Amino acid sequence: MTTVLAPVEGAAVGLAAVPDPVFSAGMVGPGTAIDPCRGPGQAVAPITGKIVKLHPHAYVIVGDDGRGVLVHLGIDTVQLRGRGFRLLATEGDRVNAGQPVVAWDPAEIEAGGRSPVCPVVALDALDGAVTPLAEGAVRAGDALFRWT
Amino acid sequence: MGERTATVAAEVGLHARPAATFVQTAMKAPMDITVARSTGGDPVNGKSILQIMALDVRKGEQIVIRAEGEGSEEILDALATIASTP
Repeated sequence: MTTVLAPVEGAAVGLAAVPDPVFSAGMVGPGTAIDPCRGPGQAVAPITGKIVKLHPHAYVIVGDDGRGVLVHLGIDTVQLRGRGFRLLATEGDRVNAGQPVVAWDPAEIEAGGRSPVCPVVALDALDGAVTPLAEGAVRAGDALFRWT
Repeated sequence: MGERTATVAAEVGLHARPAATFVQTAMKAPMDITVARSTGGDPVNGKSILQIMALDVRKGEQIVIRAEGEGSEEILDALATIASTP
């Protein structure tokens, strides 16, 4: 079992609220999404493990049990090519759950015409393997969902 | 062993939508599907979104998709088409 933490402060809104069908239809996997607080903030590791992929706008952390969690900071933010994001860790680093990975400002993303909502996805998880542990307001590092 | 070489054409590379579509199609196949960079490296499981994302194939890079068994030619064609769709 894995407890996945909220990577950012905001409101847990569920994947259905993500304005991108790749996430809202669960194509990437089950999980939830956070509508982040606007203003400068840090996105943290949702689990303890290795950062196997670190893009400015998205990262994947794999725990010791091989489970991977994707955090995507905003929608269509790959188009920003890193503008507005500052890396606080390096790909390949081992991080503890709750450790800062990327600094960003959701308000800036929104001002640029993109949704800052953050899907948090259990990769390769079976449907029904994810149980929400939070609804509404969450702080970065709060328990977000359980992955059984 | 059947194989196809495809050049990834999506702007984002084999991530997000292209990766999800690729894996969803691969999952429907009864046989194992592997994906590797054409330049070498260990092949990864084509049915794992985690492994496909970690492979981190960028636009313009070539991948080799492999599958074996009944129906593998059709699956390989479908996967190569997804990978090479802009």
